[in-house]
Amino acid sequence: MLYLQLVLNGFVQGLVIGLGALAITLVFGIARFANAGTGDFLTAGSYGALAAHKATGSLLLAGLGGVAVSALVSLLAYVLVFRRLMGRSVMALLLASIGVGFTIRAIHGLLFGHGQYVFQVPLSRPYIVLGMRISPLDLALMLTAALALTILFVILHVTSIGRQMRAVADNPELARVSGIRVKRVMTTLWLLAGAISAVAGIILGIKTVVTPESGWDMLLPLFSAAIFGGIGSPLGAMVAGILLGIAQELSTPFVGFTYKIVLAFAVMLFVLLVRPRGLFGVVEGVR
Amino acid sequence: MLTRRDLIKSLSAGSAMIAAPGLVKAQGQPTFRIGALNPITNGSNYGAGMQKMIVAAAQAVNDAGGAAGRHFEVFAEDDQANPQAGVLAAKKLIEINKVQAILGTWASGVSLAVAPLTNDANIFLMNTSGAPALSVPPANAKGLLYRFQGTNDRWGRAYYQAALKEGFKRPATMALNNAAAISVTEGFSAAWEADGKKIVEKVVYEPNQASYRSELQKILAAKPDVIVMGSYLADLTILLREWYQSGEQVRFITPTYAANPELVKALGADVVEGLISVDTVPNESATAYKLFDDTYRKIMGQPGSTNSFAAMTWDMVTVLALAMEAANSSEIAAINAKMREVANPPGQVVSSFAEGKAALKSGKINYDGASSVLDFDARGDVKPDFGVYVFEKGKMNRKYIVKI
Repeated sequence: MLYLQLVLNGFVQGLVIGLGALAITLVFGIARFANAGTGDFLTAGSYGALAAHKATGSLLLAGLGGVAVSALVSLLAYVLVFRRLMGRSVMALLLASIGVGFTIRAIHGLLFGHGQYVFQVPLSRPYIVLGMRISPLDLALMLTAALALTILFVILHVTSIGRQMRAVADNPELARVSGIRVKRVMTTLWLLAGAISAVAGIILGIKTVVTPESGWDMLLPLFSAAIFGGIGSPLGAMVAGILLGIAQELSTPFVGFTYKIVLAFAVMLFVLLVRPRGLFGVVEGVR
Repeated sequence: MLTRRDLIKSLSAGSAMIAAPGLVKAQGQPTFRIGALNPITNGSNYGAGMQKMIVAAAQAVNDAGGAAGRHFEVFAEDDQANPQAGVLAAKKLIEINKVQAILGTWASGVSLAVAPLTNDANIFLMNTSGAPALSVPPANAKGLLYRFQGTNDRWGRAYYQAALKEGFKRPATMALNNAAAISVTEGFSAAWEADGKKIVEKVVYEPNQASYRSELQKILAAKPDVIVMGSYLADLTILLREWYQSGEQVRFITPTYAANPELVKALGADVVEGLISVDTVPNESATAYKLFDDTYRKIMGQPGSTNSFAAMTWDMVTVLALAMEAANSSEIAAINAKMREVANPPGQVVSSFAEGKAALKSGKINYDGASSVLDFDARGDVKPDFGVYVFEKGKMNRKYIVKI
């Protein structure tokens, strides 16, 4: 029973990691660089949602507000910085993204201060199912995440822009010569990456507290999950995030709480050494 | 609504603040340079007040004509409550600003990381940290470290007194994984176990986790009647929210830097009802405290009681200036030799730099501080008293004072 409860605890943790990793992997698959500003997109989503929640009192509108803010921040980062650096080396883009993250964090600090904010959500007692404690809030958050994922996968796999995105991910040159407008694809990509980061950021914010650093602090597990899932694979990132969350919690009876973090990095190391393409990744040929 | 113009204005105001060099300028005459290294960003809500009180106390010293013929010049930096950032800022203060004292490091990790630098430079480091390691070599190898806060060991013993008084039988401890937080709960455990009694469970947890439910599950399984916390505001907020939703009955003893009105604002009065919060109490009946409180209200717009650390930084500047005046020198060794002489009895009790400066002409003085009576022991530590508060209907009510 203890283990089942740990699995459940890990699942909720894993959702945040998986959604954030999804944003990283989307950008990596299409724009071809590791965006270290993703953590701060999460935070932008949390602050956006906090502001909307304060203004309207509705959690639904808060969620939409957070998604809108983070999508906008993400798009701005693309228009102002990443677009100008496209075609440069991966290192240049990675460093630029660290700078973008730093800038977003500093703006958060100036606008909201460095104290913590919390979502004023009603507290509730858990349902007890088979001896497991399941909090109604967690259930709601899981449903929200499932909804966001469904929307994302529908966009990626059913719509025309989604097909174009996947085409660019597969082979940018071929996509361009077949008449796909890369600019439109990129705009959609950054909006989506921002929106999905916001969902992760809002869940994280509701579960914990919001400070300018809260998203940045999550960055390493996010990268770890993106690599584990097979970089560039949205489904892989999500699955890997949840697996990581569960594995971390399940390890605690054996290694204690302070070493569970290490597990994320052990997994990353193992995957890089043994199966560099991750869970669902494809082997890339040398071009 | 935030307009673009507002944003640019706030951004440029921010960068102007960062760029401003000496905040208290002394013109023409030789100066004594001090670095105000405080946690402005990241995790602590005390840093800004601490830094402003250093500036204000330095201004008071300068208004009284300076110490040993020198005016104080303050260089402000942010240590981000982070050892790495603290070391970078301390390096800058020492190598570029050539400060002769660094005042007001708050997190133990920062104080421990900065100490080797100040020791190498042979300058003072005055801190408000709790880690026991700061009392002894290597950190305090040269006797240039002064701690204006109770050691964590003392904090732990204050918790022990509170737990005894409240009649708890089955305590458990939870601590954030850093030197300071763990030494608080270890101080408690040592005192409790010295009586041959048992701690039912001990958990150490990591910062910045999305959930602490597994940690709570483990500690609650041991059926404690009280959980003694070595924690900070952010992690305590998350922990208490999850605990409350679990529906289990238990009480908590926490440091006030984690459980304060901010926590009530975050969680609501119901969650924190009955929570026991322990803090060092400032020297409330002292004239120095009144001076500090007036200044704090004027500059920060809040009562001085909301920031016990700011009272400590206020005292740092005042005691340093008094020791300088007594030594009639700006040499570090000469000042250091006078630190205990001006702060400890015997001597005429004084409450401000101006008063002390005048009294020094006629004999020995004993500075009665704002943060405590401020008597340094051989290790440069002070022994403040502790207040025990209980949260009732969202208000933090002081119940009694514990002397260690």
